[in-house]
Amino acid sequence: MNLKKYFVRALHRLQKGPGYTYKELLVWYCDNTNTHGPKRIIKEGPKKKLIWFFLTLLFASLVFWQWGILINTYLSYNVTSSLSIGFKTMKFPAVTVCNANPFKYSEVKDLLKDLDRLIEAALERILQPMPGNSSENPSLSLNLKLWNQIPLVLIDEHDKDNPIILDIFESNQTVGGKQTPVGNETPGSALPALCPQCSQEGSDNCTYRNFTSAAQAVTEWYILQSTSILSKVPLQERIRMGYQAEDMILACLYGAEPCNYKNFTQIYHPDHGNCYIFNWGMDEEALNSSNPGAEFGLKLILDISQQDYIPYLSSAAGARLMLHQQKSFPFLKDQGIYAMAGTETSIGVLVDELERMGYPYSDCTNNGSDVPVRNLYSQYNTSYSIQACLRSCFQNHMIELCGCGHYMFPLPEGVNYCNNEDNPGWAYCYSSLRSSIRHRQICIDSCKETCNDTQYKMTISMADWPSEASEDWIFHILSYERDMSTNVTLDRNGIIKLNIYFQEYNCRTISESAATTIVWLLSSLGGQFGFWMGGSVLCLIEFGEIIIDSLWITVIHIISWCKGLKQKRARTRYPDAPPTVSELVEAHTNMGFQHEDAGAVPRDETLPPEPGTPPPNYDSLRVQPLNVLGPDSDAE
Amino acid sequence: ITARIKRTLPVRGPQAPTLSELMRWYCLNTNTHGCRRIVVSRGRLRRFIWILLTLSAVGLILWQCAELLLNYYSASVSVTVQFQKLPFPAVTICNINPYKYSSMKDYLSELDKETKKALETFYGFSEGKSKVRRSVDERNSTGSEFFKQIPLLKFEDFSRTVIDLHSGQKRKIEGSVFHKDSSIVNSGDSNDIIGFQLCDANNSSDCALYTFSSGVNAIQEWYKLHYMNIMAQIPLETKEKASYSADDLILTCFFDGLSCDKRHFTRFHHPLHGNCYTFNSGENGTILSTSTGGSEYGLQVVLYIDEADYNPFLVTSTGAKIIVHDQNEYPFIEDIGTEIETAAATSIGMHFTRSRKLSKPYSDCTETGADIPVENLYNKSYSLQICLHSCFQKAMVDSCGCAQYAQPLPPGAEYCNYKKNPNWMYCYYRLHEKFVKEQLGCQQICKDACSFKEWALTTSIAQWPSTVSEDWMLRVLSWDKGQKLNKKLNKTDLANLMVFYKDLNERFISENPANTLVILLSNFGGQLGLWMSCSVVCVIEIVEVFLIDSLSIVMRRQWQKAKKWWNDRKRERLGKAPQAGDLERQGHDNPVCIDEDLPTFNTALRLPLPQDSPLPRTPPPNYSTLRLETAFTEQLPDTLEAGQH
Repeated sequence: MNLKKYFVRALHRLQKGPGYTYKELLVWYCDNTNTHGPKRIIKEGPKKKLIWFFLTLLFASLVFWQWGILINTYLSYNVTSSLSIGFKTMKFPAVTVCNANPFKYSEVKDLLKDLDRLIEAALERILQPMPGNSSENPSLSLNLKLWNQIPLVLIDEHDKDNPIILDIFESNQTVGGKQTPVGNETPGSALPALCPQCSQEGSDNCTYRNFTSAAQAVTEWYILQSTSILSKVPLQERIRMGYQAEDMILACLYGAEPCNYKNFTQIYHPDHGNCYIFNWGMDEEALNSSNPGAEFGLKLILDISQQDYIPYLSSAAGARLMLHQQKSFPFLKDQGIYAMAGTETSIGVLVDELERMGYPYSDCTNNGSDVPVRNLYSQYNTSYSIQACLRSCFQNHMIELCGCGHYMFPLPEGVNYCNNEDNPGWAYCYSSLRSSIRHRQICIDSCKETCNDTQYKMTISMADWPSEASEDWIFHILSYERDMSTNVTLDRNGIIKLNIYFQEYNCRTISESAATTIVWLLSSLGGQFGFWMGGSVLCLIEFGEIIIDSLWITVIHIISWCKGLKQKRARTRYPDAPPTVSELVEAHTNMGFQHEDAGAVPRDETLPPEPGTPPPNYDSLRVQPLNVLGPDSDAE
Repeated sequence: ITARIKRTLPVRGPQAPTLSELMRWYCLNTNTHGCRRIVVSRGRLRRFIWILLTLSAVGLILWQCAELLLNYYSASVSVTVQFQKLPFPAVTICNINPYKYSSMKDYLSELDKETKKALETFYGFSEGKSKVRRSVDERNSTGSEFFKQIPLLKFEDFSRTVIDLHSGQKRKIEGSVFHKDSSIVNSGDSNDIIGFQLCDANNSSDCALYTFSSGVNAIQEWYKLHYMNIMAQIPLETKEKASYSADDLILTCFFDGLSCDKRHFTRFHHPLHGNCYTFNSGENGTILSTSTGGSEYGLQVVLYIDEADYNPFLVTSTGAKIIVHDQNEYPFIEDIGTEIETAAATSIGMHFTRSRKLSKPYSDCTETGADIPVENLYNKSYSLQICLHSCFQKAMVDSCGCAQYAQPLPPGAEYCNYKKNPNWMYCYYRLHEKFVKEQLGCQQICKDACSFKEWALTTSIAQWPSTVSEDWMLRVLSWDKGQKLNKKLNKTDLANLMVFYKDLNERFISENPANTLVILLSNFGGQLGLWMSCSVVCVIEIVEVFLIDSLSIVMRRQWQKAKKWWNDRKRERLGKAPQAGDLERQGHDNPVCIDEDLPTFNTALRLPLPQDSPLPRTPPPNYSTLRLETAFTEQLPDTLEAGQH
């Protein structure tokens, strides 16, 4: 019993709160809290009390609702963008120049000899559909081995159900390929030139790739064949066959400083052969440009020697150039532009930068290390870009499915490029992969864009160059400088002038910043709480304290209830149960709350009028219940 | 009874007897900081400083909150870049020359003859030199009358003497002179000014004279005027037939690595450009999309531009015009088309940007155009351009009675032609003048659209076909075309066009509201809390105390004054109650004026007061601070008792 008594006392001491009942506690809280609403509930008359009670409830729920909205806003990680435009000293972009034609025809003629003769003969057949009047003699020397791997055919679809497939070189035997070959049908009833298709091992599994134009068909066919041939040539040899820097770059001027072909870094690009990059920043520091205008930019004179083009490979003539960031790989097919021969092309550059915040604000990558695709372009020492990722992804798929790499993309270790001899079905495999939407989607999904995206917006203008009056001496000097000969070896069809410079406003930067920071969140939360209820964090702590207090009260109640139960059992002979703690406390303390009850009025009247007494101080009242309780527990 | 009533009265709350008491009570009990300091402070200076500080805090709060309110409708911009599969835009391709000259010969021969005659008369240019060698039918057409009516005129100085093309006579002309380019060039010093005169058909003295500093412009403008007249009379089917067919225009087509043909193109008849062909118009419900950037995966087309069949007066440049637009947009080729050169490969790299503005109240833009009082004549989604054109066409139909040829027809109207509307040209020029000077109100009515898609184009040109591939390329392309055309193609008849995505990054620029209501309230709360630790509760308090309570006090005092006055009078005159008093009492006694809470109190006061009460005006104060000081607590013990509990 002693222990129990001691325990109860200890509880009381621990509690030391503002009251022994919930009501008392609440009244105390309302009177003393710093939040604005509850005080009014206590202070006002009965009608207003009710109003204030509901107002406080309403405001409290408003606060919680708004807090929910604010926290949601914060967790959505919005960003705001700020835009700045102006001129500042910036790194001059890396400039890649290539010839649209990858190799000098004079160098690759031997390799492509068979192919060229084949295509010439094929064209002859196509253009003169009557086989009788064309002479059959030159076709004797044709290398039909190449042809048989990927033949070029004509499909006559006058009769839709039975398309007649006409192999150009075996026109005598008209193949009535009824059902087997129809891969993608062409409902056009005319006679389109339909082209190669690639057999997989046997001739049964064939699909025909249809073209509506013979020109396209011939070009595609030639590209397929020539890639296969050239992929067998070692890289060194291919570089030698391409255009050399000293032949291509005739003059170079950066700002006021002269430069020459040695300032360019050579890179082998599968589409365009040898490409030369100015200011790539791989070995030395990138150049800065601190002035706008053509005078302070890069001026180049290029020779593309159009006479030496491979006739069937590329039909467009000109230089291909691209502006890109330092240490990034130039993807000329995507972002490159043409410069026409015989013209001066001026390119005003505006650097459009986009700086984004990474996770969780937006889904982008800083250096590509978190992208699940092996970056094959890292062998060039270049930085990650989305184009590199997509191409690597394609090449990885290609190696996986076809067993060899495509000639246009870099190779991983231990894999070879596809060629017709080692991988006879590669063309078929490649075409199906290329047209497969599913594979593309996989690549799009797995690649992420970079967080800092720089684009070069170009304003392109052109003029004829050289002018008729100056033509003679310009050609003369340039020829002399290149070959040390007095003969003019250049002509209008091969010469290009380029001016690349910053515009007056050379940079536009869009940078992201978090719209909602933790500071923003806190001040907004505080603002809401303050606006509706005048509360602060301390008020929350107060509230927490009250909850702890009420917990203590609950504990005390439970204990005394348990005690009461025991007493009941122990003293069943006593008919009247002793008053519980709460009853006693209530009887003494909550007069302030009961006056509005109808029953309370008479009781009020019984009390002696005490005009001068101050409002009940709950601290002093607390002593009273203790005394009441004391004897009660002591009596036990 | 009195005691009982008083007891049941709700005398809680600030029932202070005077206004100053009420203020004092408020200052001591309010939740806002500052007020309490005023009351508690001792010394005049200190109190004054606190009053000043409190007032300035209130001022600051009002200022800052007003600022917050004013900035409520501001927008912040966010730019997101997303890498994804992009829908390929619609690409509309037109030949610059609208109709084959050979097939329009019948309609235009009269006009051409007239033009040649003008050239010969004014410039001594004879037919023989030009390579135009078409025989002109010597047909008499009804139109020739009209050509005479609006002839080209040559002005001599500024004496308003003109040489008529037909009569060759000099005559004086009347009318206001419009210099088409007077603002740019001072044409006064030129001897030969060419122009034409448009007169109101009903009132021939009202004429407008259009002059040009160069004969090139004058002749083209004049030709176009008559050309539109003629075209307006030709039915659409005939015009479509006279224009280029898809087979004529498109030689080869390649999209996304696959061959395409004329079935992928939708014909669209443009009044000024004839038949245009839209690739990927989305007409059959599917919109092509690209999942790879780069020139190989875009659209590659070789166009056949039949230069020999061009109209020599209507168009003076050769090539094609293309426009990249959204499937729902109307292609305004004549306004924003890009021209494509022949004998060249034009490579167009696209970069896709989508923008969204916030509509009202943030900015004045329209989402669908439904709120614009201009009927959309084009069957496409709203754009500013569509609105302006529709607005002009509407004004044209209203004031001239017929529709302009270059824009679609509103319901119930028909195109202008000089047979039915002899007056339309004059009317049109006048109206156009007004439109350009923004007098028609179109520019004010039309708003820009809230969301739009934009494809930024980077155009570059390469020589095509290259000298070494020219030979086989032309041969094969001729063979492709071969079935219908038996001549070898010339490279100046061909144009190669590549349209592709440079990258698949979609840039989405959107405006977001910078403030929401939640944030605005938070900011209010922050301001209120910072300066005065105030909240909505304080605001309610202020309303309660300063409006309701002080009003009631004022009312009460007035009532008491009136009553006292009434009693005094009564006592003085004994029974002679004046009428004026009645009226006055009614004014104060009006129960409607008095606050809900108070009638009970007032009725209580109206009751006959106990004889022993010396000061009837003071009601029982019930708040703790006053309780100690008031002298009459003992007067109403019951109510006080209730208050305490």
